[in-house]
Parts: sequence; C-alpha cells; structure tokens
Amino acid sequence: MPSATLEEYLEAIYKAGEHGEVRPGQLAEALGVSAPTVTATLGRLQTRGLIERPSGGVALTTTGRQAALDIIRRHRLAERFLVDALGLSWDEVHDEACLLEHALSPRVQEALETFLENPEACPHGHPIPTADGEIAEQVGAPLCNAGSGAQVEIVRVEDEDGELLSYLASLGMFPGTAVRVCDVAPFKGPLLVEVGDSRYALGRDVAEKIVVTEPGVPRSRGKGNRR
Amino acid sequence: MSRSCDERPAGPLERPGGEVVIALAGNPNVGKSTLFNALTGLGVSTAHYPGTTREISVATARAGERLIGVIDLPGSYGIGGTAEEERVARRALLELAPDVVVVLLDPTNLARTLFLALEVMDLGFRVVVAVNLADEARRAGVRVDCARLSDVAGVPAVETVATQGVGVSSLVEVAITAAAAPTPEPRTYGPDFEALVEPLVRRWESEACVPLGLTPRAAALGVLEERHEIVEAAPESVRRDGVRIRRAVASHFGESVRVHVARERHGLAGLIGEQVVVRTPRRRGLLPHDLWALTTWPWTGVPLVVLVAASIFGFLFFVGEFLAGSLSALWERWAAPLISAGVGSVAGDGVLARVLLWGFDAGIEASLAIGLPYILTFYFLLGLLEDTGYLNSLAFLTDRVMHRFGLHGRAVVPLVAAAGCSVPALVAAGDLPTRRERLIASTLVVFVPCSARTAVIMGSVGHFLGWRPTLLVLGVVVIVWLAMAFALQRLIPGDSRGLVMEMFPFRRPSVRGVAGKAWTQFREFLFVATPIVIVGSLVLGGLYETGWLMALSGPLEPVVEGLLGLPAIAGLTLIVGMLRKELSLQLLVALAVATTGFAGASLAGLLSETDIVVYALVNTIALPCISSVAVYWRRHGWMPTLAVLGASVAIALTVGAIAARVVPLLGLQ
Repeated sequence: MPSATLEEYLEAIYKAGEHGEVRPGQLAEALGVSAPTVTATLGRLQTRGLIERPSGGVALTTTGRQAALDIIRRHRLAERFLVDALGLSWDEVHDEACLLEHALSPRVQEALETFLENPEACPHGHPIPTADGEIAEQVGAPLCNAGSGAQVEIVRVEDEDGELLSYLASLGMFPGTAVRVCDVAPFKGPLLVEVGDSRYALGRDVAEKIVVTEPGVPRSRGKGNRR
Repeated sequence: MSRSCDERPAGPLERPGGEVVIALAGNPNVGKSTLFNALTGLGVSTAHYPGTTREISVATARAGERLIGVIDLPGSYGIGGTAEEERVARRALLELAPDVVVVLLDPTNLARTLFLALEVMDLGFRVVVAVNLADEARRAGVRVDCARLSDVAGVPAVETVATQGVGVSSLVEVAITAAAAPTPEPRTYGPDFEALVEPLVRRWESEACVPLGLTPRAAALGVLEERHEIVEAAPESVRRDGVRIRRAVASHFGESVRVHVARERHGLAGLIGEQVVVRTPRRRGLLPHDLWALTTWPWTGVPLVVLVAASIFGFLFFVGEFLAGSLSALWERWAAPLISAGVGSVAGDGVLARVLLWGFDAGIEASLAIGLPYILTFYFLLGLLEDTGYLNSLAFLTDRVMHRFGLHGRAVVPLVAAAGCSVPALVAAGDLPTRRERLIASTLVVFVPCSARTAVIMGSVGHFLGWRPTLLVLGVVVIVWLAMAFALQRLIPGDSRGLVMEMFPFRRPSVRGVAGKAWTQFREFLFVATPIVIVGSLVLGGLYETGWLMALSGPLEPVVEGLLGLPAIAGLTLIVGMLRKELSLQLLVALAVATTGFAGASLAGLLSETDIVVYALVNTIALPCISSVAVYWRRHGWMPTLAVLGASVAIALTVGAIAARVVPLLGLQ
C-alpha cells in the first residue's frame, strides 16, 4: 500500500482529473505544497507505476486509478461515519477524514459499510466507490463552462466545508434551482446569472464549484435519491 | 445544564435603554442605514465583537412620548450561515434580545428579501416588515399590497420610503404595538419534516429551561440547522437527538437540514410574493441593459473607468481646492482671531499660548480643511456612483485583475477611493466579506497615494523639477504598490470567498439620500479624527515652540543625512507629515524660507534636485496620515497597525536610500 503522502496525491490527481487534464501546478495549489515537491513526488508515483506523465501532464494508470478510488472510498466512508455516528457537523469533517482515511483496513471498511447501512454518497453528496473500485458517474458540468444565454439547473455545489453551499442557499441557489446565464465576461472573467428576480455576479472560482446540468439535458439525479 | 434560563452570555455590546428595543435587519442595499439614521440622531454608539469588523450601531431615540432603543444589525442575506455578517447579526439578536425585529424588504425583490424575515421569525422573534423603497418600486411598475402581505405572512407590514422619511413614524408605532403582542405561532415546513422535528421540540419542552430565552420550537430548529450558539448551549442529550434527526432528515429528503429548510423558506417566500406583489406592465427602458453592456465590455468599460476616475479627481482637485482655500480664508478672517483672543485671555502670549494655538487654531483648521472639502465631497461622489449601480459594473469588470492580488471585484471600490482619501477607502474596505480580504485591501489602501500625497509630489517634484522626474516618482510608487500587493497575497494566510455579489439595476441616484449618508459617514470621521489631530498638533506645537524639535533632529541625523542624504531638518518635516501629508511640504517651504532668508518660496536653498525626489518618495510611502492610522487601528487592532507602520517606514527608507544613490546617475535635467 502506498504511503499516506502518496495516497493524498492520488486522491488529488483523481479529483482534478474529473474536470479535465491535470497539470502539476494544479496539484501544488490543491495540496498546498511547492512545485518542486510535486515534481519529486510525482517521480515516486511514476516509478511505482501509479501514474503516467503524458507531455508534462499527469494521468493515472489503471493501477493508480484503483488505488485512488480506494483512498476516496475510505475518505468518504470516514466522513459519513463522522457525521452519522459521531454527530460532527458536515462542514468540519473533511479535515478529520483526511487523518482517518489512511487507517481503515478493508476489514474495517466492510464493517463501517454495514454499520452505516451501505451509504451511496458522502455527506457532501459525492458518490462512494464500491470495494471493487466502481463509482457512480457524476453528471453535470461546471457553471463556468456555460455560455451566455444558457438556461441550466444546479446539480450540486462542489464544496467540502459547506460554507459556499449554505451561503448560496441563503441567496436562493440550491441543487434544483434554475439559473440563466446572462453575461460571461471575456478573458475568464466573472459570470452574470439570473435567479428568479435577482441577478448575481459570480467569480470564475465560484462558478467552477457550481455543477449544473448541461443545457438541454434534463437532470437525472432528482431530489430524494441523492444519498 | 449550568446556565439558568434568563441568563445570556455577556457580550461586548450593551442592550440599549428605552421601553421598547427594536432591531433593524435587512439585505444589503435596501436602505437599512438610511432608516436607522431617520430614526436616530446623534448619540449613536458602535461596537463590534472581538475578531470581527462588522459594526453594530446602537442608539436610543425618542418616538413621541416614549424612549426606544434601536439596534442596527449588519446587512445580510440570512442569519443562518457562517459568513461574518450573518454570524454577527445572529449573535446580536440572541444576546441583545430585541423586543421586536423590523425586517426591511425590497418590493422589486420581495421573495428573496422575505427569506430573512422568515429566518428571524423561526428564531421566535416578533417581526414587523417594512416594505421600503416603495417609490422606486412604483417607478419600476411594482406595488406590494401591504394589507394582504400582513394577512398572508402573519406579521404587520408597513410601506416606507426611508430616504424621504415617509412611513417611518407609523412603522415605529406598529413596531411598538407588535412588541407587546404575544409571540406569533411558528410556521411549519410540511408534515414529513414536522413529524421528524416534533420529538426534538418535545425534548426541549421537557428540559427545565431553554437557553437564550428561545421557544422550544426555535431551539429545536436552531439545533437542527446547526446554529452554533444554540448547539453550544444545548445539553448533551439534546445534541445527540439532533444528530439522529439530522441524519433522518438527510436520508428522507436527500439533503441536509440546512439546505432543506432554506429551500422551504425560499419556497414559502416565493408563494407569499406571488400573492402580494402587483406588477403593472411598464414600457421597459432599454437604457439599463445598454448601460450594463457599455460598462462591462472591456473595450468600452476600461476607458470609462479611466474617464470616471479622472473626472472624480479633477472635481476633487478643483472644487476641493477651491473649498479648502475659501474655508481657510474664512477661518483666518473669523475663527482664528476669536480663538487667539480666547487663548490670549487664558494663557497670555507666552509659549503656552502659542502651543495652544497650534492645537486649537491650526489643529481644528487642519481637520476641517481636509475633512470638509476633500473627505465629505469624496463620500458624496462615491455615494452617488454607488447609488447609480455603476460600482456593480466596475466590480464585474475588474474581478479577474483583482484575483491576482488575492481579492475580488468588490475590492476595486476602496482601492479607487484610496486615490482620493485613505479614510473613506478604509471604511469601504471594511465591507469586504472575509477578514483576509479586508486586511489585504486596507493595507493596500494605505499604500495608494491619496490626493494629499499626490499634491506633495506635484508641489515639490512637479513644481520645481518638471514632469519627467514626476513620472519617475509616480512610477516608483506604483512599483512599490504592486510589490506590496503580491507580497501581501502570500503573507496573509487564508482563502478569499470569491465573488458572489448581488447586482442591482442602474437607477437614478437620490441626491438627498446620498447627501444624508455622506454626512453620517463624515460625522464618524470627524469624531474619530478631530481629537487625535488636536492632541497631535498640541504635542507637535509643544516640541516646536520649546525648541525641542530642533534638538530631536540630532538622533535622526544618521538616518536622514546618512541614509537619505537629506538635511536633518527635512526628516522632521517628514514626521510632521503624519499629521497631514501636505503639511510636511508647507513646513519644509517655511523652513527653506527661514533658512535662506528670501521669500521666493523655493526649496532650492535647502534641498538639491536629488533631495527633492527622495523627499517626495519618502513622504509618499512612509507613515500614513494620523487620521487613516486611527481608522485602520479601529478596524484591525494594534498588531496589524504597527506592522503596517513599520513596513511603510522600512520600505520608504529603502526606496529613499536607493533613490539617493541612483538618481544622481540618471541626470534629471
């Protein structure tokens, strides 16, 4: 089994890969470490056959993908346990789960799953991979990819501490809310969106975290079956 | 549980006096502060919780025969979240326990603003809603049926136009009556949800007491929605039940209690809105949309920013200078003789009298001579821009650039304002959403040369050396600012929340409203800064008149002469500049005249060309003026203030020392 650091990297690479190509710079930012550290660690991952480096980018090998899903499974199970059984609030469990995830053996994972009544998703709504390394496909695309004039619906908010989700909720934007994109500033600027009678400017970084249905595609994961 | 029912945690805020205590809540930009100003006069005190910068104003006011207490909560979209303004508003509500909460609604956006009212009602407070901006809504073809709103929402509703004082006295009457009424029946959020919540309400009913004076239902919802203060105050067994029920709600509805209840509240607010808002079809002017495109499309938006900024500074430069000149003339003609006669009768005409004149003549004049013409005018112009909705477009346009400084679009307002005067800019920086952004923006504001500092550069380098050296000095100042911006982003830990900003349509500004607001902000400045300026002037006067100022130049010699190559006496004027940046130059010219003995008002007798450049650089970068230090210190505490002061001196000395060695090599003329 790879070390805790390598596991963190695999997790970060998998998550970054959900939005497209992965560059080492993104990992440095996501993990809060310097670029040389990333390069060194990526070298270690590559010697173990967990990743490939196609033209400067980073991609998981089949083995690497399995290892990444394994760590994500442990992370999300740990979060579920912290919220459901220990009663921690879901905006504080991410960091705690990062500590716990490295200590869960397959035996304990299985016991946790039974105890938690086979949860499908973590408290933030992300699917939990199965022990065989399968994961439910996540639908939707980030709001920032939508063009001016697009009519979309919010699917979920990618937000580990829940702060953005609850702030947007107080403004009337939750999963299921219809959003019209009125204007997209050029050069990767902010978006102007219309929700009901109100208009909001959303920075590109915020719009990246809001996942919406692609225009014209109906939402397949309805309210009530998310968990 | 150790705490008794009535006991509330002691906070730094005092519940105001008065028979009835009214709290004002509302979304940003619905006219809450205007209403607060209309209700109260002088005697407003503001305070903030440790670690937060959102201020809460508290005042006592007279309403007919009665004395009422008024609490102005920070503007927020909700009171449930973790955003600072929401936490502060919630904490103030729970700790100060107002008898009634007036929630301001925007008729053109009734449903969204009603959400906050529903949240406050769910905390068990008596609520009165004020449908404000009624005049503006009518122009937009929107009317709210207040009687029907009262019926449907189950709370008294009053129509107001706070900017003109319309409906304010009847609002107060209604609020006073409502304060005596029993707490209204709580709202319910669907049978399934209520069935899940019910056991927790029962549980609270069986507890010996419910904390913070809450009703059992409010306390139950508070625990389920994870309102920090209520969860903290709940006994262990209740918390455990809460966890179980949160889980049950999440598995039944597929989302957390917080999101589910927020969704229900928005749904309910939307339903109420549909029943009470009457829309009359209006010919929709094309103008606002065109203005939006014009102001946010980079190829037209950027030139427009430059144009707007240039006209503001032009206006300040000419109108401000004219006002300052007239004010000083008036002061010399009327106030100065009176004050000197007064001082003369008390202290004779010795050293003491001259020191007192420094403080009470020159000091007050200094405070008024920047305050009225520059700061008040600037507040007014900025308020006018804000009221039109142009600042929205500006934030949208500049969001991406601001990201490079760890900020986002909203921070552009204080940074632009800073080129006029740091004081209003620092106040504006206090409205940014996270502590990190406020700290970065405030610090950058201090390093933007304000109009007084620009005037010194113009008056020294520009006047005596010409435009090329002036550009050189300004260029160096810009480079220092950029370096500071990149450094701060790395030095100050944390994350910015990103831009989430409500956009208001363009509208015609209300001059009366803007003037009132500008005056209120200015009044705060006057009360904070004037005493400090007077004391500072007295100290300085004392040093000057006793001759100790010259003695003090001794210890400064190694730095001023050795490092910067300036005469020691010029170093002293730099310190004096802390009182008022342009005072430094005035003093320097006066000293030059005194030393060289001819009244040509030239610096040449005292300073070489290089010296003038070095002097202008150091004066611009080092030690922000005492008024802005006072405001910065009030907002951020003494540690960051000392750090900023120290950094500014260190950077100024470094830049000055380099300039003193490099400028002669350039050959300026």
